[in-house]
Amino acid sequence: MSQTRRDFLKSTGLVALGLNAPLFVSRTAALAAPAHKPGARDTILVVVELNGGNDGLNTVIPFKNPLYAKYRPTLQQSTSQIKKLTDEIGLHPQLTDFADLHQEGHLCVVQGVGYPNPDQSHFRSMDIWQSASKVDNPTEGWIGKALRQIPGAPSFHLKNSGERAPLALDGAPARVPSIASLQDFQLQVAGGTDAKAQREVIEGSAKPGGTRKPGLLDFVQRTASNTYASSRRLQEIGKNYQPKATYPQTQLANKLKLAAQLIDGNFGARIFYVSLGGFDTHAQQAGAHANLMQQLSGAVAAFFKDLSARGHKDRLLVMTFSEFGRRAKENGSKGTDHGSAAPMFLIGGKVKPGLVGAHPSLEKIPMGNLEHHTDFRQVYAAVLDQWLGVSSKDVLGGAFKPVGVFRS
Amino acid sequence: MADTSETRIDPRWAWEAYRPNDKAPWDLKRAGHLYRRAAFGATPTELQAALKKGPQKAIDDLLAGGPGQDAFDKQTEQLAESIVRVNNGQQLRDWWLYRMLYTPHPLREKFTLFWHNHFATSNATVQNAGFMYRQYRLLRKYVLGSFAEMLKEMSLDPAMMVWLNVKDSKKGNPNENYARELMELFSLGIGNYTEHDIREAARAFTGWTLQGNDVVYTESQHDLGEKSVLKQKGKWKPDDIVRICLEEDSAPYFLTKKLFRFLVSETMTPSRELLEPLATSFRKSGYDFGDLVRTVLRSNLFFSDQVYRTRIKAPVDFALGIVRGLEGRIGSTPLAGVLEQLGQSVLYPPSVKGWDGGEAWLNGQTLLFRQNLALALTSTEDIRFGHRCDPAALARKYGKKDDKELVDFFLDLFLQGDVAEESRSRLLLFQEKSHKMKVPVYWTAQDAADNRVRTLCHLVLTQPEFQLD
Repeated sequence: MSQTRRDFLKSTGLVALGLNAPLFVSRTAALAAPAHKPGARDTILVVVELNGGNDGLNTVIPFKNPLYAKYRPTLQQSTSQIKKLTDEIGLHPQLTDFADLHQEGHLCVVQGVGYPNPDQSHFRSMDIWQSASKVDNPTEGWIGKALRQIPGAPSFHLKNSGERAPLALDGAPARVPSIASLQDFQLQVAGGTDAKAQREVIEGSAKPGGTRKPGLLDFVQRTASNTYASSRRLQEIGKNYQPKATYPQTQLANKLKLAAQLIDGNFGARIFYVSLGGFDTHAQQAGAHANLMQQLSGAVAAFFKDLSARGHKDRLLVMTFSEFGRRAKENGSKGTDHGSAAPMFLIGGKVKPGLVGAHPSLEKIPMGNLEHHTDFRQVYAAVLDQWLGVSSKDVLGGAFKPVGVFRS
Repeated sequence: MADTSETRIDPRWAWEAYRPNDKAPWDLKRAGHLYRRAAFGATPTELQAALKKGPQKAIDDLLAGGPGQDAFDKQTEQLAESIVRVNNGQQLRDWWLYRMLYTPHPLREKFTLFWHNHFATSNATVQNAGFMYRQYRLLRKYVLGSFAEMLKEMSLDPAMMVWLNVKDSKKGNPNENYARELMELFSLGIGNYTEHDIREAARAFTGWTLQGNDVVYTESQHDLGEKSVLKQKGKWKPDDIVRICLEEDSAPYFLTKKLFRFLVSETMTPSRELLEPLATSFRKSGYDFGDLVRTVLRSNLFFSDQVYRTRIKAPVDFALGIVRGLEGRIGSTPLAGVLEQLGQSVLYPPSVKGWDGGEAWLNGQTLLFRQNLALALTSTEDIRFGHRCDPAALARKYGKKDDKELVDFFLDLFLQGDVAEESRSRLLLFQEKSHKMKVPVYWTAQDAADNRVRTLCHLVLTQPEFQLD
């Protein structure tokens, strides 16, 4: 570990926390990657899940292709409004901020991403994307597995109230905390002079005894121990944070603002997971989808600006995905049914700007679906190997050729 | 979480009626287990009464419900109608929670909630309290009745028609949403049908729309052609599709497995052999769900150590267990707000898959919210819940005063005394030391004593075992 880093940890009192420190704090420094390897600069990954199946065809649009207008009699976007990336491909009109990021060279669009024999169940397909595997009933996620190679990397699921932790984070050495806000992340006890004694009873019961068997009780105790320790630590973080960009008033923007706060807390936070729901647009899609596009690009762009202004631009990578795209042709309810291939966005200081791969064919649509040409695990492989510095082969259970999404 | 292996469980033994014996005596632990799983927890009186009654009578009484059901139903129905008139979905949610809290028939509400999770329809999309209320009544009508009938009616239930787009599905342009979830989530489970089956079945659900509050069939919009669904060919209508699904071998297994997870264990994955007796009689009975529930509730396996505390409490179970245990009378609106933070807003499930349950309920944030809710409910100082749920009043009612008596009273009530010895010692030590705590000068001796009881109760509720069901 570098001297400055050790000094920093000492000065913030993290080393002094010793055994009481949550796993993520006590292990971070020791496992930072060597300087010449990817991940050495404490790269940050923010995964944005677009839940419900995002309509890829109306996100990254082949506006010159006459079949586009034909397949989408009511849902087509007008050519004049589309944010053009090339002479043939453009972004949804509400992806204004993404178009700006593209201009600045910070947006990469991987087209036609999917996997063989696509499944059109939300839940099954989401499991496949999150576990990066096709086993039945997966119990481990791709990020959870990656965290085994960087076990101390502080990671967070930033959630809406009521949202469960994603499968993608399961399988990590310590359960990744889900957090709604810093204020909420506190253990309260009754007022009075014995507040400390009350906390000791509560925290004492969370310490697993020597003879305990693995099982649900052990799970509850592990979750509780880690939570109580994290909660104490996080109360100190982000108190002096002032955003350096204007975030829109949306849930997604609030979550990304919290991520910025945690990154600004400077304890090495590296992986964040957030989700945006509402993409299952079977009916009356136009307004709902436009709104989602705007929320997505507005929140991510503000986040990127804020962190850039704080000097984290080259450490940051935001990646979006959805469990599937939607059917090429719209249905009779001015919506679209479940489909397959769709684009992914990568935003960051180090991404290779522009389009990667061709738009899926509109001529050849088996079962009415756009066909993928890039396996999502090739994108994961690039992120794992070249960004996080984690062996993708171990995480993905096989070798996938990384897609070129980073500037060399 | 690794699955518990259950290869050694004999299916015949598993589903035979439980008779108390030396190895599995009828004790406080088992009475508490029954009231947690089949209801929303027990009061001190109920627990003691159940101990005296024995398991058969205790189960019979839970299945029958207590006195005053008609009056309760009548009173709450009037309330629901006024909520429906102003189309306030959130109030309807609070209203249902009120029913769960104070009904004389908790088992019926508990299983209605099971079905709500099965057909998981959200008013976030439906936006119609009247439709949601109608669906709630449909679930309650068949709660321990015929699943086949419920599924038929559900296919053309207005809330469902909005939720999964049946109302927009027309001949030539079918919307596949309902057909897919009917097979994947309501009757068969993934892997037991093909994409082709979905596309064909979707055609059978075309032609039904909503006009105002009425379901209307327009023959010109219905696809009258032949459909091939699950290898059966015909000019199928919605009822036929439901029938065809329920004729599949996978259907009774899919449903019994879901009930197993709800009532028996989340950590044990039941083998096909273990489910076979249940699935077979479920199908034979024409999908009589009440029969199935009664068999499982009375069974050896249900009362066995293997399945004890093998579920994580759902937020509703966690919160209602406290309120009912303390014989509290709080308002359901503030409680519904907290439950939303805990991840369970009834009538607003996160997706058509319902709540995942199990370990998904607990993460750093929700655990803290749970512990903080326990404090809010027991402190009598929280502006949302106030004095209407007071551990000190309960302890007085049951005549508990000494430190030891109090520790055991709350441990028995909420955990049936089943915690590690060191946890009990820690609580007892805390309680003894708390006599020395400084209190405000204006407090009476009674104020100080009451305060100590409330704090103790909160600490009992924060024990990790209390998260388990």
